[in-house]
Amino acid sequence: MNQTSSAQSDSTAVATPTFAVLQLSGCSGCEVSLLNADVWASQQELVYMPLVLSAEDLPPVDTLLVSGAVYSDDDLHRLQQTAHRARRVVAVGTCALSGGVANLGNRESARRVFLDDTSRRHLPRLLPQLRPVDAVVSVDLYLPGCPPTPRLFEAALKLGEPFEPAKTVCQDCGRIKTRDRPDRLARHSGVAIDPEVCLINQGYLCIGSSTRGGCGAPCTRAGHPCVGCRGPSNGFISRSADEWFAAIKRVFERMTAISREQIDAELRSPGLSLFVFQFADYAGAPRDIEKVL
Amino acid sequence: MTTLTIPLSRIEGHARVVINLAGERVLSAHFQATELRGFEHFVQGAPAEQMPIIVPRICGVCSTAHHLAAVKALENLAGVTVPPKAVCIRELMMLGQVIQNQATSLFLFTMPDLPGQAGVPSLFHLGEVHSKIAPRALAVRRAGTQLITLAGGQFIHPVRAVVGGVSGGIAPRAAAEMRASLNQALTRASFLVDAYWDLFEGLHDRIGTLGDDSPTYYLAAIDRGHAYYGDRLRVMAPDGSVQAAFPPCDYAEHLTDVPIEGSYSDGTLYQGELVRANSLARLNIDPHPTTPMARAYTERFWQEWGYPAHAILLFDVARGIELVYAIERAIELLEQDLDGDDLWVGCTLRDGQGCGLIEAPRGPLIHHYEVQGGLVTSARFVIPTQHNMLAIERALLVAARRYVSSAGISLELERAVGRVVRAFDPCIACATH
Repeated sequence: MNQTSSAQSDSTAVATPTFAVLQLSGCSGCEVSLLNADVWASQQELVYMPLVLSAEDLPPVDTLLVSGAVYSDDDLHRLQQTAHRARRVVAVGTCALSGGVANLGNRESARRVFLDDTSRRHLPRLLPQLRPVDAVVSVDLYLPGCPPTPRLFEAALKLGEPFEPAKTVCQDCGRIKTRDRPDRLARHSGVAIDPEVCLINQGYLCIGSSTRGGCGAPCTRAGHPCVGCRGPSNGFISRSADEWFAAIKRVFERMTAISREQIDAELRSPGLSLFVFQFADYAGAPRDIEKVL
Repeated sequence: MTTLTIPLSRIEGHARVVINLAGERVLSAHFQATELRGFEHFVQGAPAEQMPIIVPRICGVCSTAHHLAAVKALENLAGVTVPPKAVCIRELMMLGQVIQNQATSLFLFTMPDLPGQAGVPSLFHLGEVHSKIAPRALAVRRAGTQLITLAGGQFIHPVRAVVGGVSGGIAPRAAAEMRASLNQALTRASFLVDAYWDLFEGLHDRIGTLGDDSPTYYLAAIDRGHAYYGDRLRVMAPDGSVQAAFPPCDYAEHLTDVPIEGSYSDGTLYQGELVRANSLARLNIDPHPTTPMARAYTERFWQEWGYPAHAILLFDVARGIELVYAIERAIELLEQDLDGDDLWVGCTLRDGQGCGLIEAPRGPLIHHYEVQGGLVTSARFVIPTQHNMLAIERALLVAARRYVSSAGISLELERAVGRVVRAFDPCIACATH
């Protein structure tokens, strides 16, 4: 890390780029992933990240990574107070981009219970609606993923080689597509999983064919269908959720004998984990493709 | 009345300490969690089979523990027995979790408190004398994450445990590569734990205490030999006598949930008494880890500080011993055959209730689900950090009384508050969930 050396360097030297991490309501998974990225021995100086650094306040900074969703009045306040101190704001992870898993809490019945249950004094209050970071401040770069892999953090901080992510998770996955056409959806606990064959050919509701690549497909390689945590691939970013659903349905039509109606019902089931990671706020304004890593 | 509010850093999540004073008298000390997402509410109505994927998002630091507790709860519901190889692969996931967590807590969170007169802001500020520490600490941590990835598919929010077993094995070649990487990590970890131990003794000399709080009950879900895949909770009384063990489904008979004023987290009492969980609880309850280096460190530990040990800051050193143990134990397990077809047994989820228990880095974690028509109707998460909440508050009160006197409030107070809280390594995302 550069703190020691930069403190000693003379004032004419080119300043080391600085970065900071602001954590809103989330799980720290993004920060844990960042700790595995190759940023600590080198080019950037960390100036604020309460998880690993005791510092009073967030100073002016080159790059501000914001993780977590705007969930409480405290989140809103801290984001508004700090974002303008950064030259570049990067929204990191599914929660910051679309609310993530906690967005389930916006389902009305859950929210009722929720509001009734949070009557403790002197504590941050939950906002009526959970919001992504760009609903509050302007965002220069989006880094989707739950969490983004360490490699994606390196790319966001512009370290090392230029980064060209695969278009889709499918391209990262490497499982073999076969002529098997399953006629019903498989459940996670229902059958043994073939380690080589495409999960759709095995009846799993995998949406890797239209989910953004670049993660290296760790889930599908490990035998779990893609739940879309990286969001839509470039072809779908600026289109409606209906068009995205239609594309997924076409893939299943081609590769399985499962009815369109069943796929449609599953895709729209709010309890399904892929809904958690992606579709909850998909009604929001589309993001500029150039800004999504 | 004067109220001191002390912000916290180098812990997981958002929390603060509030100390109330009347003149030189410390009236109370509070540890307040200031975030909430509401998992127990919003998972209602979700398909039970999705829990192992949704609930790891309670916490990105402890996601492996939540993944496994969820799967074990559903297996309890389905009445299925998991094949031994799958248990072994899951234990490897947990060992990876322990390596990652203890390295993070020990080096990134607490080590900066140790050097000099006032500590340093972060691991990266240790200076030239300790320039070898940060890169080695990150490398050891990374070995833990590699192990979770190998056994669990990815190191945050793993996916490989499924109801009935695991969805894939570990090929002999991958196991051999992992063993080589862990052997390197073991050398580094031993260097780091020695360095930690030296700095820790320096701190002890400087402040003259490792914590003045009196003993409490201890709680851990480890089997003999320190295995992290326990199915029963074990309890030690303050006098060192071992109490009856109980299965996770009986948690409500033994553990009481207590709301904490001004906090989104509840606390836990064991039979109405204060309890501590995490590294020192495990070491007290199971004082002889089976692996050679961990055993040598443990003997030194008991020799220096006596058995059972109760001083709060010893949680930190105990974490170092567990780091070494977890690396050694993972190397042992990776010698076994972990590939093949017998990794999974078929089963059907049915309606009813299930409890799953795992010893997470911070203590026993229980997931309790009620399922109807395949959907979760009720979810209860019994969180390790909650077990420690009331113990943290009492330890803070004791520390505050040491540093507030007729002469005023010592500058050491804020540092002491940080040290006490970090010794318990609380995880606020988990505690509030």
